[in-house]
Amino acid sequence: MNTSHQRWLLEQLPQWERDGLLTAEAARTLRERNAVDDSQPGLAQLVMGALGALLIGTGLIAVIGFNWDDFSRPVRLLFAFLPLLATQLFSFRVLQRGDAAAAWVRETAALLQALATGACIALVSQIYNLGGDWPDFLFWWFMLSLPLVWVLRSHAVAIFYLIAIAIWSVNQVEHGKPWNDSPLVYPLLLLGLLPYWPGWKGKAPLSISVRWAMTISAIIGLCSAAVFVSMYREDDYNYRDETFVWLWALTAAVFALIPLNQTGIAEPTRCKPQVVLGSLWLLGYGVGATFRDLNNHILNGVSHALKLPWCWGLLVVLAVFVLLALVRKRWAVLAIASLALLPLIAFPFVHGKGEDHSTLLSWLATLHLSAIGITLIVLEFAGKKGAPRLGAMLLFVLIIARMADSHFSLLAKGIAFIGVGVAFLAFNILMSRLLKQKQASVV
Amino acid sequence: MKTLPLIIFGIAVLAQWAAPLAQIWTHEQTLTQGTLIKLKCSAPDPYDPLRGRHLAVRPEQSEASVPVGMKLQRGMHFYATLTTGADGLATISALSLTPPASGEFLHLKAGYVYNDKAGIEWPFDRFYLNEKLAPEADHWFAENISSAKGIIAEVRVLGGRAVLEDLSFDDKPFRQILKERVK
Repeated sequence: MNTSHQRWLLEQLPQWERDGLLTAEAARTLRERNAVDDSQPGLAQLVMGALGALLIGTGLIAVIGFNWDDFSRPVRLLFAFLPLLATQLFSFRVLQRGDAAAAWVRETAALLQALATGACIALVSQIYNLGGDWPDFLFWWFMLSLPLVWVLRSHAVAIFYLIAIAIWSVNQVEHGKPWNDSPLVYPLLLLGLLPYWPGWKGKAPLSISVRWAMTISAIIGLCSAAVFVSMYREDDYNYRDETFVWLWALTAAVFALIPLNQTGIAEPTRCKPQVVLGSLWLLGYGVGATFRDLNNHILNGVSHALKLPWCWGLLVVLAVFVLLALVRKRWAVLAIASLALLPLIAFPFVHGKGEDHSTLLSWLATLHLSAIGITLIVLEFAGKKGAPRLGAMLLFVLIIARMADSHFSLLAKGIAFIGVGVAFLAFNILMSRLLKQKQASVV
Repeated sequence: MKTLPLIIFGIAVLAQWAAPLAQIWTHEQTLTQGTLIKLKCSAPDPYDPLRGRHLAVRPEQSEASVPVGMKLQRGMHFYATLTTGADGLATISALSLTPPASGEFLHLKAGYVYNDKAGIEWPFDRFYLNEKLAPEADHWFAENISSAKGIIAEVRVLGGRAVLEDLSFDDKPFRQILKERVK
């Protein structure tokens, strides 16, 4: 239950007590269980504070962009450093006040200081006609803003940092760059947020928006690294697409299996973007692997990826995460994550045996996805936590994919598609009725 | 008040000052003590959303010959010896992996390396202009595109580092030409 739900519940309790729906004891228990921490900022407050800071910072950058070349160099340098000094003093004051400072003030101070830092670097480079690419500028900007995330616990600057490191990583995907100037440093940049990480001693869990920003940033950063390592080998240049697509699948599996404690596991799926996005990619990848025409490409990708240290690094991390997931009995996520390893299972049997043998992967993927789909449905009917509609959708997508890949006539395919559509609707109606029955029995 | 956040904040503040101040220091050194060289170039007028209007400065010399035996690859840094011709304009006359013993030189990065030629990534590529003057630069270029004289980049060079000091045309500062046109 999120804060807004808790606030709504707390507002209803007095009325429910008056109506006799709840005893005073029950109401007290609910109040204790759903106490809202009012020291946390409201979303509107945060957004307004961040918007104000953004407008001031952007205005500052625009004023700088005008280029006041009527003034001497020292005067223009003063323009660069005065806003920086002012925002630093403001942040210092906020830090001095500690917990007494409102959260939105903390956010505003941090964001203003980050923007003033960027404006200062930009103005210095303008005054001295400095060359250089904008990713270099971005790099220094986010590095100098990072400590503000730690000390002021700023969500806005954390999101800025996450977006900036992702954009920087995408821009560093270029053949011939040294590793320390490439997306390979992305994991280190992400680790820079460690003092802000969930579970850090005495800190509240991350907000949903920061979790999504972090996941999307990490996906972009690590996928950029996969593309970079794939193009690193001159002799494998022709196979780089196949190579990085499998590396992306391994990355998605790592994401889906990121270790969680029991509280994390119990959270709703929408609070776990790494599981949502990782699983979606893997399911798409799994369906793609059922196409026989793609099998050779996928297996070529595996063959070339296995020569890369980055791939072995991913496999080692994945092995550790698999073990931890086994301990936590995260069967559903394990089943989906294992889709990334199917090419590895098929690889020894088909390697060097020609194209005819490559249908093995197609069959493996079809069987595996069918098993996942059926399990998700059966679990629900067995009275356990399942996802029948997701399971049914997976099966239907699979059937459609197999039909599209088959040599049946158009007529046969058309009839099959109609049949699948009717079955899907019928299943949906059945599930709706079952849900109603379940709700009726509870009441 | 907790000490650790304050210490981290203090370090961050110092770094936020040190990064631009270090740039200022090295570039001021070059501007005040560096040797002036002149390079023929072109300079169309793009726009940087963060840093405003600037002219994209492109020296005419875009590649140089790689000496036999010099193992230069894309992205590697090298030293370029500058030689001033009879017309007063400088060109890159030699490349090396170590700083030359004498003369003016630049520390540059190789773009492409192909057929014993190395693409040069010049350390300056922009000359910032006031928003009022920048559109006038466009008009000026349209009118003078066929001129053989070309724009001259006046660059200060010191210890391999270069700072673009000014642009000129026909021995007149380019900014002044534009200001006179705007009046």
